[in-house]
Amino acid sequence: MHRRDLLTLSAALAAFAVLPAPAGAAGMAASLPAADWRRFADRFIGSEGRVSDSGNGGISHSEGQGYAMLLALAADDRAAFDRLWAWTEANLLRGRDDGLLAWKWEPGKGVTDRNNATDGDILTGWALLRSAEQWGNEGHRRAALSMLQAVRRHLVVEHGGMTLLLPGATGFRQDNGVVVNPSYWIFPALAAFAAADADGKPVWEKVSGSGLVLIAKARFGQWQLPPDWVRIEADGTAVLPERFKQQFGYDAIRVPLYMAWGGYRDPYYFRPYGAFLARFNGGPIPATVSLPGGTTAQVPASVGMLAVYRMAARIAATGAAVTVPPPGADEDYYSSVLALLTQLAERSLGLTQ
Amino acid sequence: MTRPLPFSLILAAAVAVAGMPAVAQAPQAQAPINSTAGGAAGGRALAPGVQIQLDTPAGAAAPGTVDETALRYYARTGDVARLEAEIARLRAINPQWQPPSDLFSPQAPSQGPSFDETPIWRLMSSGKTAEARAAIAEERRRTPAWQPSDKLLHELDLAEATGRMAAAMGAKRWQEVLDTAAATPEVASCTRLDNLWRVAEAHGQLKQTDQAFDVYRRIVTSCPKAAERRDTIYKAGPFLPPERLRELADLAATSNPAEGEDYAVVRRALQDLDVGRTLSRLGGGQGEQPTADELASAQAAVLERRDAGGALALGWHHQSRKRHEEARQWFSRSNEWQPGDQAVEGLVLALTGLGRRQEALEAGKGWQGRSARVDRALRAARPPAAQPGRGTAGQGAGGWGELERALAQRDYGRCLQIIERMSRGGMDASLAQQRGWCLMELKRPTEAEEAFAQAKALASKAPAADRVRLADSAAYGETLARLQTDDAEGVLQELPNMRLTPERERSIRANTLATQALQAYEEKRYRDTLRLLDARLAFEPEPRGLTIMRGWTHYNTQRIDEALRIFEALDRRFSTEETREAVGVVKRAMYRGG
Repeated sequence: MHRRDLLTLSAALAAFAVLPAPAGAAGMAASLPAADWRRFADRFIGSEGRVSDSGNGGISHSEGQGYAMLLALAADDRAAFDRLWAWTEANLLRGRDDGLLAWKWEPGKGVTDRNNATDGDILTGWALLRSAEQWGNEGHRRAALSMLQAVRRHLVVEHGGMTLLLPGATGFRQDNGVVVNPSYWIFPALAAFAAADADGKPVWEKVSGSGLVLIAKARFGQWQLPPDWVRIEADGTAVLPERFKQQFGYDAIRVPLYMAWGGYRDPYYFRPYGAFLARFNGGPIPATVSLPGGTTAQVPASVGMLAVYRMAARIAATGAAVTVPPPGADEDYYSSVLALLTQLAERSLGLTQ
Repeated sequence: MTRPLPFSLILAAAVAVAGMPAVAQAPQAQAPINSTAGGAAGGRALAPGVQIQLDTPAGAAAPGTVDETALRYYARTGDVARLEAEIARLRAINPQWQPPSDLFSPQAPSQGPSFDETPIWRLMSSGKTAEARAAIAEERRRTPAWQPSDKLLHELDLAEATGRMAAAMGAKRWQEVLDTAAATPEVASCTRLDNLWRVAEAHGQLKQTDQAFDVYRRIVTSCPKAAERRDTIYKAGPFLPPERLRELADLAATSNPAEGEDYAVVRRALQDLDVGRTLSRLGGGQGEQPTADELASAQAAVLERRDAGGALALGWHHQSRKRHEEARQWFSRSNEWQPGDQAVEGLVLALTGLGRRQEALEAGKGWQGRSARVDRALRAARPPAAQPGRGTAGQGAGGWGELERALAQRDYGRCLQIIERMSRGGMDASLAQQRGWCLMELKRPTEAEEAFAQAKALASKAPAADRVRLADSAAYGETLARLQTDDAEGVLQELPNMRLTPERERSIRANTLATQALQAYEEKRYRDTLRLLDARLAFEPEPRGLTIMRGWTHYNTQRIDEALRIFEALDRRFSTEETREAVGVVKRAMYRGG
């Protein structure tokens, strides 16, 4: 066999080897302790299946619905999952007519911003796919595939030599550039999409590969942290965009979480967090860092953010230690989500405490 | 016949979240490892929580009895089912055979088809470091046991540090340049001279002259190439006082000489810098004027090098001192070495100063209607009676005559004063337009644009015969002023509605494209830069400055050969510090890339 043939075959096989394994319900049930799930569901999910973002005035959004659906899967709570999706379908999917979810819903007002938030669509699509695998719900598979098709049609763009995800259907194309959010690359979801969506397989693989390039390019400041938002020029250069907060903060903290969860362990991608932590050795870690200047916020990182830091630091193996306190009784929605998702990612990686 | 397979799948206690496509290496502490005589066996996760146990007793059969290529391939790609099948097959062929103990060792040299790093090296050497990082991360996810070579990682670190330094320089974040170099000390070395220069310049920009000097001294005493030492002297020029520069040049000419290098070029560089300083003081007009000796040595150097820009500076120097004959000679040489409207403008004015008006008009003919500055000089060359389009204001002394003299001496500040005085009796279109041209010369385009707008409005009050001509040339001036304020898009949109002569339209189109090309270059849109420069060629030949930008554009898009061809051609035609440096930088880039 010729060497080149071998290599081609190797690439094809390797890609095959990482497709999600058929889900076992037993594995799922074991992954999120019932008590953790109960606490989350009691605090943030209403009886109608709506998730309230306690840190943002109790509004609801597509991202929150998607996160809660993933957690319900991990806790093997099918009834809760069905309620979450029913509410999402009735209120956010019906809020648009193109198969994407309206991102923002406010109590007493309904949908108040019809634009979508692409991570919300991706999280929800992923959760639906997994419901189909875990519980055999074929209706959910159809709903997922239609959502994936909508994401491909409206949100995937070729720009600057990369295949990028627009953060929303409107508002992120600027004259010669595109503004993207690196934390919308939910790598494990993208890999699941490539496996489940036969028509879209090449697209999802390109999106995923470009995500790695994007995150390698979008590093700023002395710690080389990823920004919440980044503008990609026509020639592929990454710059901090005007009119957006130029910082590493509440969005970008998910970049290492999704990379680790997607099976990426290359220390290059995790060292920035180790370096940043080393700077605050032992003391409180700030929640946000301005880029490229490096001014840090007074507000400390939440329990959930610390959980992500601890995982990133372990992968980076720079020796930085992070203490994650137990979540407080009033821990807010976002912090709780990050803490639980990190727990899931760590279990899937064999990184148990 | 049944026999236990040497591999057994062990489900680890930690059960993974199903459906997560994670392939991970389990912590070594938990990996079931059977130490063997070979000692190289290792545990490895092929899927979340799935461990494979390698059990290889001593006394394996001599290699070569079976073909292990496929076996190693399956091990490398993590294909458990095929791996087991292949082991069974090989055992069937040779019952004595044992699986090799290094099956899962990363990058064992004896391994069959191992991962080929070549594409990643290729990405890196074409400047695509992010793509190289992505390829490594992807391969490590697919094959957790695989490790990129230390050499590759090291080179990537250096390439990225270089990129960060270059970006920080471009953004004038000097401290970040220094921090980056401090974090990766190896990045600044003789083999990466650009980075050493960047460190020195960052110190210089931060007014840390001693540190800057130390870095320059390190270069000229340790990097052996004479050309590099020479270029370092040029680089240090703006940041060191003359006496320290001389000290540096002495060191560069004498320290640690290498065989076959001629360090005389270093001395010449110092001379060049002296000449450059003299010439720039000539152009400044104010401040300390060069001594007669300095002037003489600058003139000799300019003659020797056929330096057209230097000749222009000398021409204006003499012209402003009413030494019209010397001025005429220098302008004439400049135009001969490198034809251009600035030299012709000077020539016309010098000849006018000598009272040789007819020759002056002759000399300007080639640029008439194509160059605003030559047109203006020609107006000064024409006898006052022949001036068309004059208003009634201030005919005699202190009026247009004085204005012409100020213009001939290129004293644009005085031009404004005179016009201010003349317009007290009322502004007219010609005067307003002249004010616009003087403001343009003084690099005050926003005010110039207003003056031209005023001239355009006043044109309607001019005598009927002059109206159209005055309005048109005011519109032309207004357009050029807008281009100077970088409003190229606005100008292009309105171009079809302007009544311009074909010559002027070509000139404006060429100017617009140059402005846009420069913008594109500054925004690092290099493809656009080339497209705009090419489009510009349809209207006018490319001036030297834009060709230099074209060269750097090629350089920045990794078309190093093309960049070198352009810079060498420029340097052959007319060698300046800029072209010498460009050739040097590009050659070093070639050396590094190869």
